[in-house]
Parts: sequence; structure tokens; C-alpha cells
Amino acid sequence: MKLHKCLKHAFSMVMHSKLRSWLTILGIVIGVASVIAIVSIGEGMQAEMESRMSTMAGDILTLSAGYSRGASMFGPPGEGGGDRGGGSGGKATKESEKIVVDKTDVQALKSIAEILLINPQIRGNANISYMGQEGSVSVTGIDQKVWSQITTDNLKEGRFLDSADKNVIVIGSSLAESFFDHPLGINQVLTIEGRSFRIVGILDDDSRSIYMPIQAAYTVIEDKDMDVYDSVTIKIKDEDQLNETMTKIEKKLMIIRHVTAKTKDFSLTSSKLMAATREAMLSTLNTFLLAIAAVSLIVGAVGVANTMFTSVLEKTKDIGIMKAIGARNSDIMLIFLFNAALIGLVGGILGIVLGSILSGLLPTLFGSTMMLRGGTLVSLNSVLLAIAVSVGVGVIAGAIPAYQASKLKPVDALRYE
Amino acid sequence: MKDTLIALDGVWKIYKMGEVEVPALRGVDVDINKGDFVAIIGASGSGKSTMMNLVGCLDLPSKGKIFLKSKDITTLPESDLAALRGRTIGFIFQQYNLLQNMTAFENVLLPLELQDMGDGKASERAKEVLKLVGLSDKMHNRPSQLSGGEQQRVSIARSLVGDPEIILADEPTGALDSVTGREVIETLYRLWKDEGKTVIMVTHDLHLAEYAHTHIELKDGKIIKIAKNEKQKKPRG
Repeated sequence: MKLHKCLKHAFSMVMHSKLRSWLTILGIVIGVASVIAIVSIGEGMQAEMESRMSTMAGDILTLSAGYSRGASMFGPPGEGGGDRGGGSGGKATKESEKIVVDKTDVQALKSIAEILLINPQIRGNANISYMGQEGSVSVTGIDQKVWSQITTDNLKEGRFLDSADKNVIVIGSSLAESFFDHPLGINQVLTIEGRSFRIVGILDDDSRSIYMPIQAAYTVIEDKDMDVYDSVTIKIKDEDQLNETMTKIEKKLMIIRHVTAKTKDFSLTSSKLMAATREAMLSTLNTFLLAIAAVSLIVGAVGVANTMFTSVLEKTKDIGIMKAIGARNSDIMLIFLFNAALIGLVGGILGIVLGSILSGLLPTLFGSTMMLRGGTLVSLNSVLLAIAVSVGVGVIAGAIPAYQASKLKPVDALRYE
Repeated sequence: MKDTLIALDGVWKIYKMGEVEVPALRGVDVDINKGDFVAIIGASGSGKSTMMNLVGCLDLPSKGKIFLKSKDITTLPESDLAALRGRTIGFIFQQYNLLQNMTAFENVLLPLELQDMGDGKASERAKEVLKLVGLSDKMHNRPSQLSGGEQQRVSIARSLVGDPEIILADEPTGALDSVTGREVIETLYRLWKDEGKTVIMVTHDLHLAEYAHTHIELKDGKIIKIAKNEKQKKPRG
């Protein structure tokens, strides 16, 4: 029998056992949808990670006060992480004393030859107002002499801060475009904690941040001691010497701060190294989740096999009739294999649709907690792979029943009631 | 001298029921000539259906040889046997054995699809034989929408569609009323008489066997009589 005729008969078999076929298809749908959703989450995370890594400079380190072994593992520098109250010894010998990074540390860093630039920063929230409207945003004070050379941000309009600047600011594009009813532009004046600042640059990002010279920032951010920093960004001369330079900086700081490796009270992190570690962790997590999803696909495959065995039993008489009128073993085998493959194919296609819908919903539901800010990504590769796997699962699960059907003796099959 | 179409040479068929071996046929020797109308008769359990299965290449003997057109079918692989069945033999079963999820037309078309005949030609031929059995107007009905007699006519159409040399009918009127049964046997008679088909009919009904030209009588798995039917009945009209 020609292949397309076998396919026609297989399709007819699926259509004539609708409920059982659809229940079996449902098993495959759940399996494929889980795989698609999980793979899309993984690919979304991967894309987000790659996008972040592409903006990270490999020669930039961040120094902050406090230390924990998992420092900043799950957030970019400055967003969280370090146990700022932990550690003891050196600048933290007395419990009442705050552990900080200050001018002394910066002076020490300046003596290290491998360091090219040092940018001490303070960060906090400040109230702003513009044309009668008010709000609160994040303000970062930076060393305007080096910031333009050390930042990985790009400008959309205007310029970065320079050494002569005092009461000027650079703002994020979201703040410029949508924070107030009226957009903010270059040379417009924004009031921050009662002081006026002129906008000289707008960053090409979607933040609501404000960057200003650190001396000015001390006057607008509350509870900041002069010459004490929230973090220090360090640019090293040779990216290839990253590990060696980090070791050297850590040793120097431990001496200055009178701490040992055990009592270390600061964190020196490389965003690129941490991103790589985080990527490896995500990859392990993805593999684990994929393995769980694969189990549901295997359950679906067992369902296909079960349906096919039942179908062979149910169709035994029909197989006998077909053999009596000239069907070869291969014809019967192909019809049952196509039947199983069709179940897999339909399950696969519906699974991709359901998986795509799920993966589209996930960032909305869990975006902030699952690092899905970059969204999920259903790639063509995962779609093709899902179809191939679901059809393959159908064929593999249907192979034994199909073989069994093909080997039925016509006389026995005809006698079957 | 007539050609031998089917020859059974010392054929035994033994079924195993657990440890016990039950012989259904015991050393059967018979020649069936081309163009003959043969009725295989005998009581229930005499081995009639077993013999039909063997003659129809649906089963193989435990011992002995079966020749179909001088070819020993006991040595053929299953794929060759399937092809041989499809091209040489048309089956008519007592319970019609139609595929329930197909229409009458699709049931009749199926043997031609299995023989890889082109769609147009196969469709034309299927319609032709359905017309021959008087079912042109019901070709798109499923078996469940047809009477027993109509289903058996679809079964006859299916057996004829591939233009086989042999028509093998197993109790063809067994599930029909007497009027419809007579129509079926008269159709078989005409296929033998007018179309020159070799018709082999298994029946326990001696009235039906009267339409056959040759009688082969079985008892306890052995042929006890092979005889020409001198009083062969002809259809009325």
C-alpha cells in the first residue's frame, strides 16, 4: 500500500476513536507544553544573562563593605548581596562601629599599579520636583572625573559629567520621558531636595536614576557621612590579569583594614565572574527542570503505548480482514506507526501552543522573582525539537504494538471477537 | 482435461490445545480444477473451515503441501502470501467482515488500494462492481446503515473488485434470511457460470450445496467423498 494511503487509514483510525485518541494526545500535550515552557524560561534567562554580560566590562570590579560568601550572587552590584553588618576585626572590631568603605580604602587602592581608575559612589533616595509635580527617585553620587570612563552606560542625549561640574546631573531615560507629565530635556532644571540641578545628559536606558557629582550627592542624600562610600567601582588595567589583580587588591585592603581572610569585612566582586557563576547555576537549574518535564513526556509516551496496545486489540478483527484481502505485514505496521506518530504530532503541536502561552504568562506571574525580566523565548529550534521529540515518542511508543499488529496471523485475527 | 488450480497433498492441520494436539484435517488430498464450483460440505467440526483457511492461504498446514497454480504456498513468506491472496482470491465471509468505520465504497476500494492501483482507475472499478451488485445508491453508507443482505452484497463486491480467479465463500448465507440467501447463492452461481470464476463454498446446508458442480464431503478431518453433483441446481429465471 502506498504511504499516503497508510497515512489516510491511520488518520481515519484516530478520528474513529476520538475520545481515547484525544486523552492520549492530552498526555503528550502536557509533556511537550512543560518542556516548551521550561526551555523557553531557560532560553529567556540565557538571553537576559547574555544581554547583561554584554554590557558588563570584564575589567570592572566593585568594592563594598561587608562580606558573605554568597555576596551579590543573585543581583548586580549595589542591588543587594553583601552582608554589610557582618564580619569583625579591623574597622569592625567594635559592634557599635559601622563597617564602611571610606577614603582610607580609596587611598590604598590608588597605590596599586594595576588599577587604572577608581570611582567611589554613594547611593540613596531623594525627593525631586518639576513643574509642580513631586516624586522620589534613586540618586547616585559619582566621581565625575572618572565616571565617563568607567561606566558601561551609554548616552542618549547630552554628555556625561566632567571634572568642572557641580550642580548638574545625568538622568535615566525613563525619568526623562515618563516620570512627570512633561518630559525632561537637556538644560532643564530639576529640583532635588530643594536644590536646583541642570540636566546635561540623558542615559540610553530605562531607569529613573539620577547621577550627580559625589560632593553634591552628600548634600541631597540623607545620612551619608563625608568620605564614606556605599561602593567603589574599580577599573583595572589588564582584564587578563583579573584574578591576580583581585587577589592583590584584597590583600592590600585586608592589611589596611586589619582583617584576615576569616574576618574579612568587605566584598570585592567582578560582575562578569559572578554572571558566569550565575549562568552555570541557571544551566544546572534548567537541566533539573527539564528532567522533571521529561518525566511528564515519558508518562505521555506510556499513554501512547497503552492506547496503541488497546487499539491493536480492538482492531484485531479488522487487521484479519485487511490481511485476508491482501494487506502485507508492512502495510499494517505502517498504519499503526502512522497512527501513533499522528497522536504524537497533534500532541506536539498543541503542546507547543500551550507551552508558548504558558511561557508568555510566566514573566507576568513570576517576573521579579524568577529573573524573567528579559521575558521567555520560544525559539524555532525548541519548536522543531518539540515536534521531532513528540513524533519520535509516538513512533517509539507505538513501535511494539504496531509490530505486534503486523505479526498477527490472518486466521487468528479473523477469529477474534 | 481441466487444469488443476488448487491441490492439497497429504495436508494435516493440528491445533494445540495446551498439551493436547487436536487434528482438524488428517492427510487430505484433493485437486480443485480451474472453473469449478465446489461445495465443501460436512457436519460441524468436520474440518470445513480449516480447509477453507488453508485453501485461502490464510493459514499454513502442519504437514503436507498446498499448491496454488502449481506454486507451493507452504514455502512462501507472509508478504508473498498476502499479495497472492489479494490478487488471486476473493473472500466472502458468513459475517460479511466489512470494516465498520468505512463506507461501502471504501470497503470495496480497499483491496485495490492494497494492490497500489491508481486512484482514478480503482475508484471507477469499485463503482462498477457496486453497480453490479445493485448498491450504487448506497455506496456511501456505512455497514451499520445497510441490511444483512446489502452488507453481504458489499462483501461480494469487495471479493470481485480485484477480478480474482477464485471466490472463496465461507457459509455465505449463514446469517441471511432464505430469500436474501437465495439471491446470494444465485449471484455466486452466475459468477461461476457467466464470469468463469472458480467458486469454492463452505456450507453445512445441503440445499445450498445443490448449486455447486462438485461436492467434497468431510468427516472428522478426512475427505469421505468427492463427487460431481449430477443434480446441480440452477437459479430461477
